[in-house]
Amino acid sequence: MSLWVDKYRPRELTKLDFHKEQAENLRNLCKQSDFPHLMFYGPSGAGKKTRIMCLLREMYGAGVERLRSETMTFTTPSNRKVEVMTVSSNYHLEVNPSDAGMYDRTVVIDLIKQVAQTHQIEINGQREFKVIVISEGDELTKDAQHALRRTMEKYVATCRIIMSVNSTSRIIPAIRSRCLGIRVAAPSEAEMTAILQSTCKREGLALPVELAKRVVDKSERNLRRALLMLEAAKVAKSPFTAQQEIPDLDWQVFLRETASQIISEQTPAKLEKIRDRLYELLTQGVPPNLIFRGLVEHLVNNCDMSIKARTLELATEYEHRMQNGAKHIFHLEAFVAQFMSIYKKFTSELLMDEF
Amino acid sequence: MNQYPDEDEEFELQYQDELELLEDVPHEYDAFDGPSTSRRAAAKQTKAIKDASRLENSTLGSPQLSQITFGASQIENDAGGGGGGPVNRRLFGTPKGPPVGRGCSTPFQRMPAIQEVDATPTASNGFKETDAVPLLNAAAQQLQELGTRGVNKRRLERDLFGDIDDLFHETYEDPLVKKARTEELRDNEAIERIVELRRKKQESTKTVRTDDVSRLKALLDFQRKNLSYEIPNWPFLPIQRSDLERIYVRFHSEEYEQRQLDLISARGAIVGSLLGEAKDKVWQEANELVLRRLAPETQPAIAAPATAVTAQTGRLWVDKYKPRKYIDLLSDEMTNRSLLYWLKMWDKVVFGKPFQSKQEREAVTGGGDAPLNSFNKRTGKFESNGGWRQRKTRQALNTNVDAIGRPMQKVALLCGPPGLGKTTLAHTIARHAGYNVREINASDDRSPDAFKLVLENGTQMSSVLNTDKRPNCIVLDEIDGAPRQSIEYLVKFVNDDVHSKAKAKGAKSEHNVLRRPIICICNDIYDPALRPLRQIAFVVTFPPIDAARLAERLGEIAKKEKLQTDFSSLITLAEKSGNDVRSCISSMQFFNAQKQSLTLQDVLNNNLGQKDRHQGLFTVWNSIFRIQRPKKQLQPDINGNGDEPALVTMTNMSIATRVRNVMDVVHSSGDYERLTQGVYENYLQQKMPDPNFKGICEALNWFCFTDVLQQKIASQQNYSIYPYLPYGFVVWHLLFATLAWPKIAFPTRGFEFTQKRTTQRNIFQALRKGVTPSAVGVGHGTILLLDTVPMLKRILSPQLRSVTVKLLSPKEQHDLNHTVEVMLDLGLTFVQVKSLEGQYVFQTEPDLDALGVFPGFPGLTVSYFGRQLLAREVSLARIRRAAPKQGEPSKKPASKTAATTRLPNHLQKLKPKPISGSGAPKQQLTKDFFGRITHKTSTAKSVEEAKTDAIVKSPIWYRYKEGFNNAVRKDVHLHELL
Repeated sequence: MSLWVDKYRPRELTKLDFHKEQAENLRNLCKQSDFPHLMFYGPSGAGKKTRIMCLLREMYGAGVERLRSETMTFTTPSNRKVEVMTVSSNYHLEVNPSDAGMYDRTVVIDLIKQVAQTHQIEINGQREFKVIVISEGDELTKDAQHALRRTMEKYVATCRIIMSVNSTSRIIPAIRSRCLGIRVAAPSEAEMTAILQSTCKREGLALPVELAKRVVDKSERNLRRALLMLEAAKVAKSPFTAQQEIPDLDWQVFLRETASQIISEQTPAKLEKIRDRLYELLTQGVPPNLIFRGLVEHLVNNCDMSIKARTLELATEYEHRMQNGAKHIFHLEAFVAQFMSIYKKFTSELLMDEF
Repeated sequence: MNQYPDEDEEFELQYQDELELLEDVPHEYDAFDGPSTSRRAAAKQTKAIKDASRLENSTLGSPQLSQITFGASQIENDAGGGGGGPVNRRLFGTPKGPPVGRGCSTPFQRMPAIQEVDATPTASNGFKETDAVPLLNAAAQQLQELGTRGVNKRRLERDLFGDIDDLFHETYEDPLVKKARTEELRDNEAIERIVELRRKKQESTKTVRTDDVSRLKALLDFQRKNLSYEIPNWPFLPIQRSDLERIYVRFHSEEYEQRQLDLISARGAIVGSLLGEAKDKVWQEANELVLRRLAPETQPAIAAPATAVTAQTGRLWVDKYKPRKYIDLLSDEMTNRSLLYWLKMWDKVVFGKPFQSKQEREAVTGGGDAPLNSFNKRTGKFESNGGWRQRKTRQALNTNVDAIGRPMQKVALLCGPPGLGKTTLAHTIARHAGYNVREINASDDRSPDAFKLVLENGTQMSSVLNTDKRPNCIVLDEIDGAPRQSIEYLVKFVNDDVHSKAKAKGAKSEHNVLRRPIICICNDIYDPALRPLRQIAFVVTFPPIDAARLAERLGEIAKKEKLQTDFSSLITLAEKSGNDVRSCISSMQFFNAQKQSLTLQDVLNNNLGQKDRHQGLFTVWNSIFRIQRPKKQLQPDINGNGDEPALVTMTNMSIATRVRNVMDVVHSSGDYERLTQGVYENYLQQKMPDPNFKGICEALNWFCFTDVLQQKIASQQNYSIYPYLPYGFVVWHLLFATLAWPKIAFPTRGFEFTQKRTTQRNIFQALRKGVTPSAVGVGHGTILLLDTVPMLKRILSPQLRSVTVKLLSPKEQHDLNHTVEVMLDLGLTFVQVKSLEGQYVFQTEPDLDALGVFPGFPGLTVSYFGRQLLAREVSLARIRRAAPKQGEPSKKPASKTAATTRLPNHLQKLKPKPISGSGAPKQQLTKDFFGRITHKTSTAKSVEEAKTDAIVKSPIWYRYKEGFNNAVRKDVHLHELL
């Protein structure tokens, strides 16, 4: 493993860099014979997955790190083939049902049930249950979640489910109540700086404090992003300097430019150009809610106080509608047009006042 | 009728070849032998028909056949100057000639029995004959005589059957029979024709249409009251029929009889053409029968054909007013003519009659080009029946013929929207050209096998049972619904490919060539299944019928059916139905059944005549983005009509009308999703004064609403909210529609977007599959895409000079190694591909460059050389990784052994059990030949041991025939070779 994120990832609960108290609690949990379903929640890049892997290692030993990946094919009731990638060891199975999109219910029914029904082969010295890790659990559709709830109860003797979610709000209460929620908060800036420093030390590099702070700022307390940025920065310029340029995420820059274009000109022709840019973002797989968020952040930062509230209101309204729709571009453009409208009104009023 | 003699001439001159086309089938024998008398007769006939056609234009011009003959007979009659008696004598008239007995007026129930009653010379007092008609009688006798002959049989039938006959009005005649005819005979025929037509005139002038059902009822009633098989309780007279059945006929008083007769004759004076004709026919048949009976050799009486009197009122108008003749056709003149021309080109093969192509004929006659614009007699208008359009159509029709004399295009393909009369045209023209129509439509089995059978039967056989031996013409109706295989078979069949097998076998290849014309009819010419057919067929596209012309015809029908209406409402009806003839006539019949008049209000208020017309997407988009201009055509009519308020709204395009219009158009199209996309991609280009984005915001709100609705419908299958979808179009129309012609581009962005999205997804999936499972840190799903991929691009872009690996600086070396390691972990490689420009480039596989790429942002910034270097290094490293790890244990053997002891189960490998005694010197006892135990010397032993040890230790052995040789051996690992 040569990417820094993987290379210096803690493998044991005792070696975790932050939330050590929580790690201790997890260790105690493993020592007991019983073990509930777990749900790790927190922002991305906070180390949920790392914690899950450490927990599994604590329970099953190093064998859990011998991973193999498989692609499984399922047939939906409508005779459509759905491919889902799974990563598994002898003791656990990791699956991302949202790969199947709207057919994730089939995956839950077929795969998880099948795994849950089979008993652990090697019984001596091990736990008598397997673990299914569901990553991006909040992407599961309601149907799939409902399919999951009974499975969780029925096969509790042979299987535990560990979910990794960003936000519990999209998990139905029935599942929330069946799981022990473990919140993994994003590391604090100090913690992140410490981690970056220690990583560079192990790599034999000197990291200026200033640069570390900038990286932490830029990464929005996302440790994965911070480490990747640092590594990319290292490739660009090897002995670090304090004023070194830190690479940005392309799509974020693109989004920012889009927002500033909205501010700069409000005409139908511009709106059409904005539409092209929005299409571009959607094509590249940027989720529309992230686009919304990015736009709103930049627009609100750059507009007058008097229309900030209105902008936010519009954003919530259109984003909510977008969740119920299928063509995201309509809603994005509608929001942009609305913002253009109020912004133009505001500027023209401003001009009128000046005269 | 003959008050336009010079016009007549003019007409003849102008429409020479068309007229010839029209006429040369019935009179083709004239062309064979041309004596002067026959010429005259023929000319007369031609003239009659011409007059008829003119009459058709100038007067009502009913589509019915009887009308035409009616006109013709009138003319002949005028020319001949004969007068006819009154008609009611014909109704119940019985000829006074000696053989004929008194008629019975109840012949309609059972034909044979009544004939017998007729024939019985009884002294029935029931029926008084009115004045005898010697002239008529004579005519009838002549007709009987002629009835056996070919030519006039046709005439007879037509005249006798009137409306009923629509099938046999053109007869295919054997040329041999025609040749056998002599001149006198033909003269006789001409005379007889005149006589006959005169008689017709008498009939038609007097006979008027009647209500047949009531008449029939009355007759039955009459019969029931007056005839009986048992002894009745009223005064009677017994009579005996020929089959010895007794019938009792009622006595009536003189006054009663007179009253009854007056009643009937009075009714007959007003009404009763059809029945009159039928009655006349029956009367003639009876006459014929009697004559035959009286003849010395008593032939068995031929049962008169039981022609049921069709209940005229029960018929659909669509059927009733169907064009029966070529000139009745309502469709575009050019279309009709070109199809007829094509059909005529088959004459050589089918009838053996040489077909003179137009050019040839022109060359012979020396006639120049017809004027581009000419006065059309039929419509009474100037028509551009020439011009560029004519040339265009003529170009489509290949006038060349192949070796056998068939036209090059052996199939005609008629296409156009429904209700324009394609089927009618095909039938009419085929019959006109002397063919027997065999129709195969969607109701028939059209599987390839059935299709094959029908095609072969239709083209190679003719009906045996049918009396007239006309060749078949196959009409394949509604062919766009036929299975693809059937159409492919048809194409093969037409190209004579089907019989190639038979040809190979030898035998009769000649017989299997297609010798009959095939006409195909379809609605959608661009149906994919029709593609092969379209290439070989003579394609006739139906232009829409002129609304005015259609309204004219509708007016005629209305007049006939006594439906009160006005021209403007008919035009509106025609326009509303999209000039669909069938739908218009049906609507009219509906109105007629409801009440007596059809007003503009009715047309506008009713949904009648409207249908789901398939409109192109662009038409719909146009009507969304464009305000329809008020229709000027309608305005004067409406103003003239005056007081109805509904009519006024039609012209001023008020909001309400526009809304309704858009709703109609959108409804008829139905493909809301694509329409929405089209509006979405075009609305910003429309010119609109919208400084504050009010309209755009409004429009976008509706887009959002539509999207939410659609999503809801799709996800929950809840179609109850479906009706709300089209309202968005109304809003968009009101917001963006202008009077100017909008520029509309086909929406491609949405499609491109989904295409690109799919490509991106596939690349991303490939990338995900390649990632080593233990590389947890790169994240899952979108995180991998959003956070890792952009950074990866930079991590994988080390700065390398273009030198060999050995010459790279330690930092570069380190970077290179790092990059290679990362690439291996993520399953990435560089592969050489040829770009679109033809250059060879190194591309990541899966294509990381294409992921997360935005215009204006650099991807991987590695030079060509760097990529090449990386590609090589990655492939080497991959081999190194795949090789068993041998370098490592030597480095830290201690830890390795420690690890092996605690190796988890799945890692343990099968190992051979160490042989226990391997360390100790061998206890092997060797015995010599005599069984004594021998002891080898220790020196020899040690040498041997050392040798085997060396061999066993090294992984590679060379075996050279016998024995082992370790001389050239050296431990070489793969990574040392690389």
